[in-house]
Amino acid sequence: MPSEPTPTKHLAEKINRKATVCPFCALLCDDLEVRRLPDDSFAIQRNGCSRADTDYARPPAIPQPLIGGQKADFETACIAAARLLRNAKQPLIAGLGTDVDGMRAVIRLAERCGAVLDHMHGETLNALAGILQSRGGYFTTLSEIRNRADLVLLVGVDLGDRYENFVRLCLKPKFGLHTHRLKKRHVIDLGARPFESRHPDIERIRCSTKNLPETLNRLLALVRDAPLSGSSFGGISRKTLQALATKMHKSAYCAMVFTPATMGNCRETTVSTIFDIVDELNRAGRAAGLALGGDDGGQSAVVTCTWQTGYPLRVRFGETIEYDPRGNAFGKLLASGEADTLLWIDSFGRNSSPRQFKKLDNAIVLSAVRPKHVDNLGVFIPVGTPGIDHYARLVRTDSVVTLPLHTIRRTGLPSVANVLAGITAQT
Amino acid sequence: MVIRLKGGTVFDPANGIDGEMRDIYIQKDQIIKPPDQNQAVDETIDITGRVVMPAGIDLHTHIGGGKVNIARMMLPENHAAGRVTQDQHPHWESGHIAPPAPIAGYRYAEMGYVACFEPAMLPTNARQTHMELADTPMIDKGAYALLGNDDFLLRALRQKRDPAFIRDYIGWILHASQALAIKVVNPGGISAFKFNQRQLDLDERNAVYGVTPRKILLALSTAVESLGLAHPLHIHGCNLGVPGNVNTTISTITALDGIRAHLTHLQFHSYGTEGDRNFSSGAAEIAEIVNRSPNISLDVGQIMFGRTVTESGDVMQQFKGSEFADPKKWVGMDIECDAGCGVVPFRYKSRSFVNALQWAIGLELFLLIDDPWRIFLTTDHPNGAPFTSYPHLIRLLMDRSFRRDMLSTIHADAAAASHLGSLAREYTLYEIATITRAAPARSLGLTEFGSLGIGDKAHITVYKDQPNREKMFAKPELVFKDGSIIVRKGRIVNEVWGATHVARPDYDRGVERELDRYFDRYMTLHKDNTRVTDDEIRDGGRGELVINEATTSR
Repeated sequence: MPSEPTPTKHLAEKINRKATVCPFCALLCDDLEVRRLPDDSFAIQRNGCSRADTDYARPPAIPQPLIGGQKADFETACIAAARLLRNAKQPLIAGLGTDVDGMRAVIRLAERCGAVLDHMHGETLNALAGILQSRGGYFTTLSEIRNRADLVLLVGVDLGDRYENFVRLCLKPKFGLHTHRLKKRHVIDLGARPFESRHPDIERIRCSTKNLPETLNRLLALVRDAPLSGSSFGGISRKTLQALATKMHKSAYCAMVFTPATMGNCRETTVSTIFDIVDELNRAGRAAGLALGGDDGGQSAVVTCTWQTGYPLRVRFGETIEYDPRGNAFGKLLASGEADTLLWIDSFGRNSSPRQFKKLDNAIVLSAVRPKHVDNLGVFIPVGTPGIDHYARLVRTDSVVTLPLHTIRRTGLPSVANVLAGITAQT
Repeated sequence: MVIRLKGGTVFDPANGIDGEMRDIYIQKDQIIKPPDQNQAVDETIDITGRVVMPAGIDLHTHIGGGKVNIARMMLPENHAAGRVTQDQHPHWESGHIAPPAPIAGYRYAEMGYVACFEPAMLPTNARQTHMELADTPMIDKGAYALLGNDDFLLRALRQKRDPAFIRDYIGWILHASQALAIKVVNPGGISAFKFNQRQLDLDERNAVYGVTPRKILLALSTAVESLGLAHPLHIHGCNLGVPGNVNTTISTITALDGIRAHLTHLQFHSYGTEGDRNFSSGAAEIAEIVNRSPNISLDVGQIMFGRTVTESGDVMQQFKGSEFADPKKWVGMDIECDAGCGVVPFRYKSRSFVNALQWAIGLELFLLIDDPWRIFLTTDHPNGAPFTSYPHLIRLLMDRSFRRDMLSTIHADAAAASHLGSLAREYTLYEIATITRAAPARSLGLTEFGSLGIGDKAHITVYKDQPNREKMFAKPELVFKDGSIIVRKGRIVNEVWGATHVARPDYDRGVERELDRYFDRYMTLHKDNTRVTDDEIRDGGRGELVINEATTSR
């Protein structure tokens, strides 16, 4: 695994920024300034958000592996984990909250022990992959929106809790390349979550999650100039929707930004409708979509698994490699009991225990925090968080930019890649 | 340890050796002089009657980076024939049109290739591209940074910045993205599409920046020359796939006015508008101007009939092509004020007039362009066809009667509209060794590749001489990389990890101050975070970094 990179010799200037890259959501803001506190946690000085405040405030895990609740050293814990995986009928490696090098190690181990892979946000990641596989779509990226979009339609985006910094990065930057457009940028929020107090200039069209698919379908019809009966749809007047459709047609570059995670079970059809609208707008003008998602290493897991196997997760290694985007969902495999041994990975410390797994003594958990019922777990191995405790590379929400994250504290906690290499060597 | 390859028939165009029986001696990773009597030969491999060439080099193949990965993700049906082969690598199988990184490496090695170059790396996507290439075993690799639609450059051209400024910017790009060369795709056109321009001819202005493709091409090609890069500007020109683009291509060559340039996948840029269907071959005109323009090299981008996926930075043209997507799905993308991409699955049909003529046009270019040192064998993988079709393509070039048989199976009007049937030329083994080994190595400045001279790297392919050239080239008897045998009888026997080749020209680092300001003002990340470090390329010891020292003077 790549160790902490030394400053490159060929470039005179050293990488010596005060700023750090935040690993706690897929925006990967790279301008956070943090201050270390006596308990080895951090307080954010600049450019944080409520989510980062919480996550940086967490002190590091005690570097103490446990086997069935009993203290063990890292090597012994790896041997115990390997034994569980070796004896498993159907191992499942899930959670996958890790960085690119962690994912590379996951795939090596999965291949060795015949495991199924899925991410903790597998449902949303899978829905987006499904969109690519069934229809495709026209996409855009953060810097494009920041500099080019004169109209941004937020669809079910929760800027209050998730992705707060999207406003600073993309919607209200101080500078833009095409400033004549930026000055009159129009941001419209179509969704249920209230955040207007902080952003009074963002126009709101209230729409419940339940009504979102229907509303978008009506919007598509209006964008297509199709005949439509009725004066109100899901609580939104026809006039309002018609005005929105007109704005979208008139905009020079319309970005539709959405969060699949908040769209409920209809997310695949909802996202599909969003891209239908984008396609329609692109007939004569310009538009594109952007999904905000892939937190907890989700984007890195999908992208790495795809370049290594061809498939975006939910693969089963065995006599053949099987991609089953529904059958290999971790929740399903755990509920049915088909997966009898679980290796759960959560180096971001935000989802340390999968609720569905009951056979705790057959569970191996690698996490940055101590999970509940840790003493009942087969094996618990504490790990560092990417970009806090070790160098890492993470893929951003737009799937184009991969950021390097540097170590900001030294705790002796291993990376997921290190631990998995240890387990693989014993498997 | 000295290995003697005894009795092979050697085709080594870099050293002017055309089918001579010679012994080759290998020590460690190098080809050495025949040892004197006191020096022992540890192993002799008798390859009497076998054909020996330097190992293959592909200078234009899309094997890593964002759009390649989108294609993989979009096409599970391509991988569906999955089969795990535990006894050898790869551990999993996949289709060939968008192979995962390990499979691409294995398939290239099995075909006798040891170096492949990703021609369209977006600087903002460089880290991912290199991670994918790092996970591609068996081959050396490198990537060309894609410029010419980035807002930074277009702004600089609008502001009429000094050529030295452009040169220094490109210098920084090469260092920061760990690139070997510079490529331009539809100069200014990808940017124009973001502003809703639907086409951009050589002398049309980008609506916002006011610059023309001509100006961008000249600025970039001049800068590449002044940096002293071995490989000239790698040009994917305007109007790809548009009937009548033969005139654009000729104007482009004329505009370059003697400046070195590489025109890539030229088949897609050689279309006329004659005939009832307003689609005809421009290959003869292109060949005529290329033959008298020694500053120009090209690769063909041959198409083959069957399923594939087209992946290109040229989203302006891919948007138009998406109408023909098969299956009916496609991805377009505007990317980070850098460029764009379009991924469109496609099926070339021999019974389609247009596809059949495209096939013929590619072959016409191969047969009408005289100098094999300036034309390279590619299918623009996977845009024209997967690279696994190279052996078939080689047979088409070497075997006139086979070519005629194939010609008789395509759309009859296309066959009639093409001169292909009257072209008698058959490539020799020496010429095949030139267009797949010696010439691309020279063009990229890979001094120890594509050549079997003393001191060169021992990258060697040994073939059984078979009249069916497709069979022959599909399954080499032996492949050596860095002096060790990696393939026997077409199967991987030894997994190795190749080096990454980069160019490191000097440039004035003052340009970085302006770039810092630009990134901090406009981009959503800091400039330094786009930079790929040497340690990332070395990848914990599995990778290796090779700095290309060749200059244009060779």
